[in-house]
Amino acid sequence: MNAQLILDNLPTLLWGAYPNGPLGGLALTLLLASLAGLGSALLGVAGGVALTMWQGWPKRLLAALVGFLRAIPVLMLIFWAYFLLPILFGVDIPEIATVVAALALIGGAYLAHGAAAGLAAVGRGQWQAGLSLGLSRWQTLRLIALPQALRMMLPSFVNQWVALIKDTSLAYIVGVSELTYVATQLNNRTLVYPTEVFLFVGLMYFLLCSSLQLAAAHWSRRLRVA
Amino acid sequence: MKRGLLFLALLSTFAGHAYADKLDDIKKAGVLRVAVFDSNPPFGFVDAANKQQGLDVDYAQAIAKKLGVKLELRSTNPANRIPLLVSNKVDLVAANFTITDERAKQLDFSTPYFATGQQFIAKKGLLKQPADIGKLRIGADKGTTQEVTLREKYPTAKVIAYDDTPLALAALRNGNVQAITQDDAKLVALLAKVPDKDKYELAPFHLTREYQGIGVAKGETRLLKEVNATLTELEKSGQAKTIYDRWFGPTTPAPLPRTFKIGDKA
Repeated sequence: MNAQLILDNLPTLLWGAYPNGPLGGLALTLLLASLAGLGSALLGVAGGVALTMWQGWPKRLLAALVGFLRAIPVLMLIFWAYFLLPILFGVDIPEIATVVAALALIGGAYLAHGAAAGLAAVGRGQWQAGLSLGLSRWQTLRLIALPQALRMMLPSFVNQWVALIKDTSLAYIVGVSELTYVATQLNNRTLVYPTEVFLFVGLMYFLLCSSLQLAAAHWSRRLRVA
Repeated sequence: MKRGLLFLALLSTFAGHAYADKLDDIKKAGVLRVAVFDSNPPFGFVDAANKQQGLDVDYAQAIAKKLGVKLELRSTNPANRIPLLVSNKVDLVAANFTITDERAKQLDFSTPYFATGQQFIAKKGLLKQPADIGKLRIGADKGTTQEVTLREKYPTAKVIAYDDTPLALAALRNGNVQAITQDDAKLVALLAKVPDKDKYELAPFHLTREYQGIGVAKGETRLLKEVNATLTELEKSGQAKTIYDRWFGPTTPAPLPRTFKIGDKA
């Protein structure tokens, strides 16, 4: 074991070349995951609401789109968005934006179904109660169904966010210097310490994901009391 | 992924004409964008101070200087160096890029500026002649010409493809494979760093002779000419030798005699 190697390269692993260069390492992983997590939550709730409230062909169209996004690998979406859009349409999207958008879209697609299921699980009685009080469908959704559904959906959101944190490592394909990427650079420079380097990387992801889980558990306990 | 690359290349043949002349674009922008490896010492890697370094980086620097523009480096790996070029994210690829007929369909190569041979590091005594290759489990780097050559010429060998050289080396040291294959230039440097190097040896033969060139998008003849002129000039002025000696010369940890000069017949 060569712990000194990790210690010597700790700043690079934690925040890349910052402040002398662009942000990287664990800090960039956190940034990518936060932005994509927020995006996926917004898209997921909006998608779930739309799947519940819409009818007819708009609903079928959305369901098809969600199904498509769930069926393709994240890596492919990142790869194609980054390399194909410039060729086809001359659009040049920066690599970090590509990764965040791809993760948010796919995460959002997974969450949309979770959100729709959560809304359904609130039960017809709650909807009927709202409607018979004279609320409109959208008011019933906003005031009665959604607050209950979001509470139930929290575990599946956390599930998705944990998967999303780990999926940020796929950003390597377009050369985004997040944690796994800088670790690979370090591993290739030093050549003979893959055990140390990747044990450290594994530990970092573990800490990141388990703090999210702990925070979510704490939060959901408070929601229940309230 | 392979089919995807082919598709990209196909598209690029249609889209290629849409761009103006790239040499003009570079001079207008005042920036030359070059894709170099960031995980492949000594050709391209990130040093302890977080700076990109290596033989290919030096060449990229020299070309930018000749064009009178700023150099912008872009990290690449074997999986995305062709897409980066084809989708116009970079102007040149200087990433230990072996010239092959297959790749030349998708892009143009400069005159060779480096030559390597496919070599092996094996457990001592296992690999004495090419005929032994077919009996071994061999680790190769995914997507490299070495992997392709091995699969084509030695179908009985068990070829295991790894993401990069350190992982292949770890597999060798753990006993998952009996030998690993890469460029001689890289393996010499690698073996010098292995803590238990007395257990391993370089195979006493080369399988191929390969030439590395700078990748230019297809049809950019003026840019290609400029790159070739720069390379020829670097050799003439002795700068090419200086660059070589910086990474492979007698004072480096893994010296390697220079057997190829720019302009030599490939």
